[in-house]
Amino acid sequence: MTFTWKIGGEAGFGIMTVGLIFSKIASRLGYHILDYFEYPSLIRGGHNAYEVCVSDEEVTALKKEIDILICLNKETFQKHKSRLTSESFVFYDKEEFDFEDNFKKINIPLKKIVADLKGPAIIKNTIALGASLAILGGKIEVLLDLIAEQFKKKGDETVEFNQRFAIAGYKEVKKNYSALITNFLVEKKEKKEKLVLSGNEAFSLGAVVADCRLYSAYPMTPSSSVLHTLASWQEKTGMIVLHAEDEIAVINTVLGASFCGVRAAVGTSGGGFSLMVESLSFAGMAEIPIVVFLAQRPGPATGMPTWTEQGDLLFAIFSGHGEFPKIILAPGDQKEMLELTLKAFNLADIYQTPVVVVSDMYLSEAHKTVEKDWFKKIVAEYKINRGKTNLTQNSKARSKKLEIFLRYKITDDGISEKIIPGTPGYFYQENSYEHLEDGHTTEEAESRKAQVEKRLKKWQTYLKNDFQQPKFYGDEKAKIVFISWGSTKGIVLAAQKRLKERGIKTGFYHFNHLYPLDKEKVFQLLKKDNKKYFLVENNALGQFGKILAMEVGLEVEKKILRYDGRPITVEEIIDKI
Amino acid sequence: MASIKDFNGYQPTWCPGCGDWGIGIAIKKALVELNYSPDQVVVVFGIGCLGNMNDFLNAYGFHSLHGRALPNAIGIKLANHKLPVIVVVGDGDCYGEGGNHFIHSCRGNHDIKVIVSDNRVYGLTTGQSAPTASKGYRSKSTPLGLIENPFNPIALALNSGATFIAQGFAGDINHLVLILKEAIIHKGFSLVNVLQPCVTFNKVNTYQYYLQRAYKLDSSYQRDNFKQALEKSLELNEEKFPLGVIYQKESVCYHESLSQISSITLVEKKRFLDYDSLIEGFV
Repeated sequence: MTFTWKIGGEAGFGIMTVGLIFSKIASRLGYHILDYFEYPSLIRGGHNAYEVCVSDEEVTALKKEIDILICLNKETFQKHKSRLTSESFVFYDKEEFDFEDNFKKINIPLKKIVADLKGPAIIKNTIALGASLAILGGKIEVLLDLIAEQFKKKGDETVEFNQRFAIAGYKEVKKNYSALITNFLVEKKEKKEKLVLSGNEAFSLGAVVADCRLYSAYPMTPSSSVLHTLASWQEKTGMIVLHAEDEIAVINTVLGASFCGVRAAVGTSGGGFSLMVESLSFAGMAEIPIVVFLAQRPGPATGMPTWTEQGDLLFAIFSGHGEFPKIILAPGDQKEMLELTLKAFNLADIYQTPVVVVSDMYLSEAHKTVEKDWFKKIVAEYKINRGKTNLTQNSKARSKKLEIFLRYKITDDGISEKIIPGTPGYFYQENSYEHLEDGHTTEEAESRKAQVEKRLKKWQTYLKNDFQQPKFYGDEKAKIVFISWGSTKGIVLAAQKRLKERGIKTGFYHFNHLYPLDKEKVFQLLKKDNKKYFLVENNALGQFGKILAMEVGLEVEKKILRYDGRPITVEEIIDKI
Repeated sequence: MASIKDFNGYQPTWCPGCGDWGIGIAIKKALVELNYSPDQVVVVFGIGCLGNMNDFLNAYGFHSLHGRALPNAIGIKLANHKLPVIVVVGDGDCYGEGGNHFIHSCRGNHDIKVIVSDNRVYGLTTGQSAPTASKGYRSKSTPLGLIENPFNPIALALNSGATFIAQGFAGDINHLVLILKEAIIHKGFSLVNVLQPCVTFNKVNTYQYYLQRAYKLDSSYQRDNFKQALEKSLELNEEKFPLGVIYQKESVCYHESLSQISSITLVEKKRFLDYDSLIEGFV
């Protein structure tokens, strides 16, 4: 059983809050979820909607039909009725508006309950949530627990006050619509404990587990919740979380800390990243480890701040002036976000260069259930690798003569040893100018050439030791093969499943180690002539396709692209096959 | 104990007579007199003539981009607050390209020591007018005369929350050493604006110009008086240049407000491992 629950209303009416509570209810009752929040770049006014797709199995994509639609205003019904079927439940308040009888209509007197129980208008969301839970056959106790957890700091009275409205909605359905009650959300007997994680939360957890000690950011949707999450944890984790005056200060603060041996990261979206790129080039030149979390949104310029796109891939790959190595990773879902974030911090240290973790609004803000045991396993297995950085600060006895340390010593793998500032007996500089092995500025041709080659050598070392081929899903013999990267993963997987049900076999290469690519290995994988390749990307140019053409020499002609700010749907992939 | 020689890197490439020679010697002397050795200090260099000191001064150095030395220094201080962090920049770098960072570093009272060579021109890019150049100043980039009013670093630092503000003169090394030592010892954000004649490109603000207009604050001057300091800062408008510590205030600096590093530096801390307590909120 898979169903979609959706609530909509005016911005400022607590749509996001109840949406996330519903996701957690479903998770606690033993189900898998994937959710998605649509909102304009406004604090009040405008239309907000939150949908949760619930299933017995892992949910990798949203579904077309809405099975339960809660309309806190008329606009919600009008905007989403095209996705309703005759079997859909529609919650509404007859006193506010009415509509045709083509659906299972559930009239909840929201306005009256608010008046009777003397509540604020915003609490309609809680009444409606309680009512929808009743229709789904879910336990009200789970909702009451979540309300208690949410308001416990405000005291018992506030908890009970809010619970009263949830119960009122729940009872309304039990009383008037008992014949329509389903078992969609009946508590599962066997259930594994799960976490309801957004992509941004997975990055935040990953940063903490990877021992990131300084995170700096300037607020920018859709990356801001990383700043909020890490800031809320800082007393506990000991991480310093710094909201600096602009993105240029953000990245340079992090570079300073990283120079001193502290794992550090920045987070932003395309506009903020644009401001950072000169400093990214500095990190490449001075060989400073840094992790950049880039949560894309539709550009150019201010674009559509609260919507989704994969439009900054080429920009990330080519970011920064001059030629220097950087590593671009793009997780496909919340689990990969955690895994690749952990890896990104190791890679930044090993290669002493920038690593960019590319997300987008859809992956950053959507929540998905992840088994708690899986999280614990990944965390337990993780080993911090600081590469050639020596943090001990005791490499030499104090009494000996001072020596200049060869910070940029030419090596076979391109990576030089590093001691941290304050290590007695030595000194050196990290330099944004071209430099000699000891860090001093140079303009001399041979030394320049040697340092360019040393830096670029790190890419070769990476390809040899850490590059990962795309993951393959589906049928290896299939003629139809999808190629995608990042957050489109789950949608392609869902499309594959649906096509299989129709007897159409497909294969799927999902890339998450995007740059640099191992030309030979990827070529061998994709060169097969008897295959029909489809490139799936959430942008207008097919940006990863361009990288494949440029780096591997393979042109993917068939493209499934979407660039209206919305995630690609399973249906549009199926339609194009 | 370290000597000046220990701090000597390459032979400087500044123009003969440039004020940067005086600043360079004063910095080394101040560090020696404060008993530091090159492995015990971090110096962040901006891009400009004075910033080229990266090769002339032995220390744990960080040669930044143009304009970005201050946030680099803040990151260094947060990572290891036991290290003294000195920033060596020019007026174009600190007040022009990095102006926003300057304001916010003052606001945060970050414990970094910012030494600015204020020569009112861009020396390294061959003499365009800097933010501190006088109105009407003619240069390659302003052949018809500068339209803007000069940037007032002392007044801006005061109003932005800096807790140590001083002005020195590159032509008086001994006095500058005294100021620098106080700036480095001060707990919090220190600005030392050093009047520095550019003998190659600035034919107006010369040694003679400053010798006639600069004067030392006497012992009766109360450096903790904000209003008086503000008045002093406005003397720029009359082409008068007070030398010495113009303002100083005891105040908690940024890293002291962080409980995360109250007992140990960020780089030396033990790794946080109680992830279970974080994931409770996601159930």
